[in-house]
Amino acid sequence: MGTNRKRSTRWDLMPRRRFLTGAAVAAGAATLSGLPEIVRAGQAPAYPKGTKLHLLTRINFIPAGDTLFIQQAEEFGKQMGVEVQIERIGENDITTRSTAAIVAQNGPDIIMMQNNFPHLLANGCADVSDVAEAIGKEQGAYWDLSRANAFVGKQWLAVPYGVLSNTMNYREDWLKEAGFSKFPDTYEELRVVGKKLKSMGHPVGQCFGHSVNDPNSWCYPFMWAYGGFEVEKDGKKVAIDKKGTLEAIKLNTAMWKDCFDEGGLSWDDASNNRAFLAGSISVTNNGASIYFVGKEKFPDVAKAMNHAPNPRGPAGRFYHMATHSSAVMKYSKNQKLAKEFIRWYMDKKQYEPWFVAMSSYMIPPTKVWFDHPAWTKDPKLTPFRDSIKDARHLGYAGPPSAKASEALAKYIIVDMFAKAIQGTSPEESLAWANGQLKQIYGA
Amino acid sequence: MVEPRSGLGAAFARLRSASATERREWRFAFVLLLPAMIMIGTFVAYPFVRGIWLSLSDTVVGSEGQFVGLHNFEKLWNDSIFRRAAQNTVFYTAAATILKLAVGMVVALMLNNLMGFKRILRASMLLPWIVPTVLSTLAWKWMLDPTFSIVNWVLFQLGLIRFRVDWLGGPVMALWSVILVNVWRGTPFFAITLLAGLQTISPEVYEAASIDGANAWQRFWTVTWPLLMPVTMVVMLFSVIQTFADFQLVYILTGGGPANSTHLLATYAYQIGVATGKLGEGAAGSLAMFPVLFLIVLFQLWYIRRTDSGSPKRGA
Amino acid sequence: MAMVAGGRWKRWVCLYLPLGAFVVITLFPFYYMAVTSVRPDREMYIPWNRANFAPFWTLKPTLEHFAYLFRETLFVRWLLNTMIISTLSTAISLFCGLLAAYALARLRFPMGGTLGTSIFVTYLVPQTLLFIPLGEVIRNFHLGDSLWALILTYPTFLIPFCTWLMMGYFRTIPKELEECAQIDGATRIQAMIRIVFPVAMPGILSAAIFAFTHAWNEFIYALVFLSSATQKTVPVGVVSELVRGDTFFWGPLMAGALLGSIPVAFIYSFFVENYVSAMTGAVKG
Repeated sequence: MGTNRKRSTRWDLMPRRRFLTGAAVAAGAATLSGLPEIVRAGQAPAYPKGTKLHLLTRINFIPAGDTLFIQQAEEFGKQMGVEVQIERIGENDITTRSTAAIVAQNGPDIIMMQNNFPHLLANGCADVSDVAEAIGKEQGAYWDLSRANAFVGKQWLAVPYGVLSNTMNYREDWLKEAGFSKFPDTYEELRVVGKKLKSMGHPVGQCFGHSVNDPNSWCYPFMWAYGGFEVEKDGKKVAIDKKGTLEAIKLNTAMWKDCFDEGGLSWDDASNNRAFLAGSISVTNNGASIYFVGKEKFPDVAKAMNHAPNPRGPAGRFYHMATHSSAVMKYSKNQKLAKEFIRWYMDKKQYEPWFVAMSSYMIPPTKVWFDHPAWTKDPKLTPFRDSIKDARHLGYAGPPSAKASEALAKYIIVDMFAKAIQGTSPEESLAWANGQLKQIYGA
Repeated sequence: MVEPRSGLGAAFARLRSASATERREWRFAFVLLLPAMIMIGTFVAYPFVRGIWLSLSDTVVGSEGQFVGLHNFEKLWNDSIFRRAAQNTVFYTAAATILKLAVGMVVALMLNNLMGFKRILRASMLLPWIVPTVLSTLAWKWMLDPTFSIVNWVLFQLGLIRFRVDWLGGPVMALWSVILVNVWRGTPFFAITLLAGLQTISPEVYEAASIDGANAWQRFWTVTWPLLMPVTMVVMLFSVIQTFADFQLVYILTGGGPANSTHLLATYAYQIGVATGKLGEGAAGSLAMFPVLFLIVLFQLWYIRRTDSGSPKRGA
Repeated sequence: MAMVAGGRWKRWVCLYLPLGAFVVITLFPFYYMAVTSVRPDREMYIPWNRANFAPFWTLKPTLEHFAYLFRETLFVRWLLNTMIISTLSTAISLFCGLLAAYALARLRFPMGGTLGTSIFVTYLVPQTLLFIPLGEVIRNFHLGDSLWALILTYPTFLIPFCTWLMMGYFRTIPKELEECAQIDGATRIQAMIRIVFPVAMPGILSAAIFAFTHAWNEFIYALVFLSSATQKTVPVGVVSELVRGDTFFWGPLMAGALLGSIPVAFIYSFFVENYVSAMTGAVKG
């Protein structure tokens, strides 16, 4: 980690805090904020031998990020004299494991939760306000979305870890071939461009199956861009039945016929990556993972592609982003150690090299990173950074809540679009989603 | 299970009038049954009762809920996704079972006619049935992948299709694809078991039928089918139980999508319970399967027993 | 049975060809698993409608996917876990099922029929209903995060099955066999263990194979009850650690599926005849 510390001098906003004296060390474990210094001083608080800390996270799409994270965990373990176990599993199984662990009151000490699951699993998560606020204070406040998904009631039930941004991935070469110099700015324009591209044998690809990320990242923003949203400010009155929502569904269905690859109904999060890299689609909504894998394995595709912001609709430009945050589980017997670990890996000294290794695949949860040089080193990646400003939380315009995650988990919004694609009339699809949301929010 | 059912009262009456030998036999039976009873009592009966309680409560993950009566069931009844999943489950079970029976029967008859290779064919044919469902289903997922589908390629090369088939995309196609994978997996069990049944039918019966002038088709319906009936009912019984509560196949292949076209009761109940944390509602969704399954199985058991006592007994 | 009489060609059309087609379809996914597991990535991700799509073979086979499996995952550990869990849960189920089946099939006692039926009915309780309460039971017994969580819960669906299968088998064994032994001075227990069980060996074996594959196949409980990376079973390990959301994983995935299937297939190949005969015995019982 030493190399990175040197590199980041220009950008180093945080004053180094070296106020800890020997006397403060004992108290340091309780105040938490001082921990990295304790560790650096080599005066780690003693944990019983054989103490194990178990962290569950999803398998990262950028392997380099995971490799570094595991190294960091090992280092932490060494310094604290404990064993840190990092378990990585597929993202679709994280919820299952979290629920099961809470029921069984046994399992990982820290779970990296997606989206607003801290709301859904609020009863199982310990209060981590001290850690979350310390980091927020240090790193220039959290983005609204990160806060919305991890702050429940009056406390932080998870410490925001990062935001996964999806924007438009497209093939510059084919776009030029089709006679367009830049990526379309609105959904209407995208339809025109996509139609041309499809006629050339390069359709737009988008998945509408039951999968955690990509279908949601397309459908929610589309609905929002046309003025539709799930629920009113009070979080109770369902508001989806609007002209705007209907327009979005209609346009999406029309685009399906005009410009989409018809395989998309059964795609999952990985299918569009494969199709894009295999050269069978020209445009898709995705994270930066296509680009990264491309650079490594399909250099021609990586060279020919670029990223652009999500299209705009009459109501604006929006993003649904998957947030990740570290929750300390209430049943854990190592809560203190768990918090210290989170505090350690969220500290700039650990987080920065990780962020760089992830090459802007994940947006840090705090604002201080916005001007980090990693964002502009490769201009193709800059659109990801800017997207966070237009991010909206699930269950907008209501407050973030477990009900919004229920709607997400049941794929109500995605299926509303998918139903219409499958041939149900747009009105009927909307009515269906309206009914489902009423059941969820009305209860 | 041939034991005539007796009411509790009758049982007690017999208990009182039992002789010493009888009592010794009962004690022996009790000891033999004890291990199974302990296991089932601890790991099924208690969780089952607890599951029923959950289904009547508003428990969410991490906190014990309140009793809400039949509210969860009422909610599910009004839930269009649940109704869709219920329809899918019934259709899935019926279509898959009938297809497995038909194909399995044909294959069993063919195998019965085969002279050589029987052993090796029988052994290799069982592979889909014994290999873990999730693993073989993953292979199918890859074979049916919209962009890289080998199935499409083969059909295209054979000139059977001109455009790709979106196996897991369309509302009807997706459910049929899931059914076909289930049929692929389950047919060997039908075929091998039916073959075992066929081999117990003595050739003289057919000869007698042949002499009476029956053709192959008639011989099948008048001789083979009725004689195979007990075996058929047993394989159907197991197939229905497993297909009705099927989970892994859909979980891997489609996750219930697109637009819930392939959601089954098990996958949807699981989704409610696990992905939305509503353990009470999830339990209600799972429990809703039980009575249906119970009735189907009860009917099948009754039917098996009836044909059993109707046909000449073997052995004891 | 001469259903397919007539000439040679008729035998081909009605027998060899359809049977051949059936076998090909049955086995093809396994072949495809094998090909995919040795196909290099560059060759794998070619859309099906391209001219150079050659799905049936590969000219440059690679072992990189297997190498990944062994280097980057705990696959060998998963295999071992699955083996231990399947073997022990099968042993427990056989023990319980064997005794229960003997009692239900051979002894006369009040409520016997009802009991038999109710054991069978437990087979019908959906796993999706049981797994949440079972999680609590496991918590109370402090079995969480150990293989015992599965070893002790798998018998819940294995015992009913074993019991049922062996009841059928016991019924096919003549009662006189035991009666003779008892006349010769053996006790009831001796007669059961020395006379009836050996005769029922094929049935017991087949129940064992059945239970073993059933346990090997299980997914939900294994996904839910085991919480550390070192204690996964093959199906769960492959699904949760090899399906990596956004990237290319079909090579290692198929390699894992292939290797995870081989042990059960291997065991089956020895006992398939046994299984068939026992099934016949059971269904006719």
